[in-house]
Amino acid sequence: MWQWFHKWGSPKWFYDLSGRWLPWLTAALVISLTTAIVWALLFVPPDYQQGYTTRILIVHVAVAGTSLAFFPIMAVAGTITLVWKMKMADMVAKTVAPLGAWFSALTLASGSIWGSVMWGTWWEWDSRLTSMLFQFFLLISVISLRSAFTDTDTAAKACAVLSIVGCVNVVIIKYSVEWWNTLHQPASGLSMSSGSVNGPEFWVPTLIMVVAMYLLLAVHVMVATRNEILQRESRAQWVQDLVKGVSE
Amino acid sequence: MFDAIQFSSFNEFFTMGGYAFNVWSVYFLFGLFLFANLYFPVQKNKRIMKSLKRRILFSEQSKENLLDQPEVDLSVGENQ
Repeated sequence: MWQWFHKWGSPKWFYDLSGRWLPWLTAALVISLTTAIVWALLFVPPDYQQGYTTRILIVHVAVAGTSLAFFPIMAVAGTITLVWKMKMADMVAKTVAPLGAWFSALTLASGSIWGSVMWGTWWEWDSRLTSMLFQFFLLISVISLRSAFTDTDTAAKACAVLSIVGCVNVVIIKYSVEWWNTLHQPASGLSMSSGSVNGPEFWVPTLIMVVAMYLLLAVHVMVATRNEILQRESRAQWVQDLVKGVSE
Repeated sequence: MFDAIQFSSFNEFFTMGGYAFNVWSVYFLFGLFLFANLYFPVQKNKRIMKSLKRRILFSEQSKENLLDQPEVDLSVGENQ
């Protein structure tokens, strides 16, 4: 167990392993994403109340659900950074934050575009909407906090603390629709019979989209972390050999 | 669960039952989001590789240049 843990701490090990995994993950991403988009745009039937705007919700629900994973990931990476001072964990935390901001922004934008016709308003200071907006701002502050320090270790520690504290907001987003009864509807229960409010004709493509979004997260984080490794470890012998190997 | 294709014509597909603006703008933003988060890191990787290659070549060349000129006193400043 400990040996395994230490292996993950080695940038070279991560670089080699992710290099082997990336083609498979990318293939799985392309397949699931294409399936989900084609299914959503061509095969999802119109809802009796919402018409074809349910196609927006397939993207919105999948992206919003995945956006809640970012603070927990950053908090775990941050804890590892603080306790074991593992530099790999901080590299992952650094690459995850901007992607999380993209996810939160798309959640807000797609929800707003859906709400403009279904709720009759683009924005409301509802508990779910406000806490999601707060998550977006928190991620922006993690990113700017990191760039505020010239010393990598200090930046890593500061971002780790903010990421752990930021997890509180994830819980608030999750339960906001139950704690406060404002505008945003609570999660629809899954139904097994088609033709019902949230039947499989809606949630199966949504589930495939969720899988695609987690694969996107994995692929993006691996590629971006490999970039980070190359930059931070540019003086290491194995990076120099690798770069020379590529040029030949 | 496996419904047939919901549209009988292209025009019907584009109008999305009257919600064309909303549905298509979300999918446009979604496409932008996918492109940005997959294309940019790959481009960045190419840029980093290029600059690292240049740096390694440069440092190797400067090492060779030093070896070509054995008369140069590399210890200048150390004894003073």
